[in-house]
Amino acid sequence: MLPLLALVPLSLSEPLSRFGLDTVFNGRIANYLEVLQTYGPILVRSFGFAAIATALGLVLAYPLAFAIRFRGGRWQPLLIGLVVLPSLTSYLVRAIAWTSLLGDNGPVLALVEALGLTGVLDGLGVLRDGRLLNTAAAVILGLTNNLLPFLVLPLVVAMERIDPRLLEAANDLHAGPLRSFVQVVWPLSLPGLGAGILLSLIPAAGDVVNPLFLGGPNERMIANTIDNLLLVQLQAPRAAALTLVLMALITLAVLLQLRGRGIEELPLP
Amino acid sequence: MSHVSPPYGRRTFLKRLAWGASGAVLAPALLQACGRGPGGNTGDGAGDGGGDRGGELVISTFPLYIDPGAPGAPGSVERFSKDTGIRLRYVEDVNDVRQFFARIRPQLAAGQPLSQDLVVLTSWMAERLIRLGWVEPLPLADVPNARNLIPSLRNPSWDPQQRYSLPWQSGIAGIAYNIKATGRELRGIDDLFDPALKGRVSALLEMRDTMGLLMLADGKDIRRPTWEEAQPSFDRLEKARRDGQIRRFTGNDYQNDLLAGNLAACIGWSGDVAQLALEQPDLRFLVPESGGVLWADVMLMPKGARHRKEVAQWLNWVYDPIEAARIAAAVQYISPVEGVRDILAKDPATAALAASPLMFPDAAEQKRLHIFGPLSDSEEARWEERFARITEG
Repeated sequence: MLPLLALVPLSLSEPLSRFGLDTVFNGRIANYLEVLQTYGPILVRSFGFAAIATALGLVLAYPLAFAIRFRGGRWQPLLIGLVVLPSLTSYLVRAIAWTSLLGDNGPVLALVEALGLTGVLDGLGVLRDGRLLNTAAAVILGLTNNLLPFLVLPLVVAMERIDPRLLEAANDLHAGPLRSFVQVVWPLSLPGLGAGILLSLIPAAGDVVNPLFLGGPNERMIANTIDNLLLVQLQAPRAAALTLVLMALITLAVLLQLRGRGIEELPLP
Repeated sequence: MSHVSPPYGRRTFLKRLAWGASGAVLAPALLQACGRGPGGNTGDGAGDGGGDRGGELVISTFPLYIDPGAPGAPGSVERFSKDTGIRLRYVEDVNDVRQFFARIRPQLAAGQPLSQDLVVLTSWMAERLIRLGWVEPLPLADVPNARNLIPSLRNPSWDPQQRYSLPWQSGIAGIAYNIKATGRELRGIDDLFDPALKGRVSALLEMRDTMGLLMLADGKDIRRPTWEEAQPSFDRLEKARRDGQIRRFTGNDYQNDLLAGNLAACIGWSGDVAQLALEQPDLRFLVPESGGVLWADVMLMPKGARHRKEVAQWLNWVYDPIEAARIAAAVQYISPVEGVRDILAKDPATAALAASPLMFPDAAEQKRLHIFGPLSDSEEARWEERFARITEG
């Protein structure tokens, strides 16, 4: 917490010179107003991308976690390993690998074209002028890919905690597979869902690599802006103010997520 | 307008560059031209490895900006160490000069020395460092080869006595394009805004290059850039970004997109494109009709650098025309060293390079090249902010 606390006075300061390190604390709240006014749309975009990526991730992660838990059998450790494996490679390398796959002459667009889906996807806004790389869809795809392990693992842990006798009881009471799922598995896996959202939304909102490599200038996220303010424009107080705004919004999201339940209920892996 | 087509393929080029003990193509001509034996030094003192051999020289520079060598033929770094006995840590960690500045700023502002003895940065950043007093005078008394500096790069306005800097390479910002992708030759900056190329165009994150080219196209004098005169160019760039005409703003990474076919045209740097064209024959580099932006990267010694003597030896070594010719053949930018063209011309393998107007622009071509003038601190902050709001969405 100390580095974060140190940002508070910096965010209310003004630099003494353009290139020096010294700043003067003068309670300049205008830093916050300026960054909110200037970069508000990018903040909204960042949380929008993060939310869509998390939602897409959940659509993929839930059946995957279900299959690992209830159909994995002795392959369960291997399947979990396969989910985690990509996250052991460099984040940067993965983004660069995606650029090859999503490029204008890459296999993904070739497949889309072969299936005759270019027009449809263009109309839906997934493709832009027939291309995928350097679009919002590519950034969201990259984010989703990175988030998957953070979503799958808490869900598997939550499902592991489901007492098999409950499923047997449901079966004994003539509940079909769908009803067992809806009335037993789904409610008991919700803490895993909550934990997964928590673990994915935070890093996704602050992602810097995917928008840089997979997006274009219209898909920059807030961490890219902070990076630019700090390293290019040399405006440390405004970078600090924007960082604290981002932290405050993430904290708010966490508190909302934890509302009504303690963190001990979350099946964090 | 200058179009550059590759004289030969990359494989051939590298093969021909494979100088070595087995008898390389270029080496004999180079050695003959300068009367120097393999592994020797210039004999003028500073290149003599007999001095302090224990020091380690640390240099930070841009990637892919030196003769890397080839199998069986050592590159510049290895040859320098062999010639002088100096251990050289050649670190290619300058990707963006502004970000590099942000990295070194805390130490230099606090009066602490960096680990680097020498850094290679673009001239406008050199001007800033000199103005801030964060660099040492170069040990030029021990660099007799500094006399080989070409006249056009001598005594820049920001270092009039040439005390703090020596150019590493110079180059041109212009338009790179793939003729197959564009379907036609391009002529100027307006072509980048052609709707037919929508989403397949990129510009540089280096503000002075991108804005310089746009302002030249608007008929502005970039030697004395003003905020007011830049506004139409900023507006044009902003609109192109918003409309999706410009796909990305890049550093060196536009090269990957050009090769992968994601870009049809972009703002790029002459040497990069000349090298890429060896791999992809459809690539062209164009100095727009309205003019190109001339820039120089220079070597500077940060305040408190520890190895002055080794720095002197390095400077002297790279200003030896033979070594400079080898570097120039590899990077294909404008060499700052006199005599390089003659050396390249004497060897059939590199004769085409000696005729390149991008490496050796003639007087007419030089008239079309312009250096982006200085911006005051407050002006620069304003320009950077507007530019960042365009490039960062």
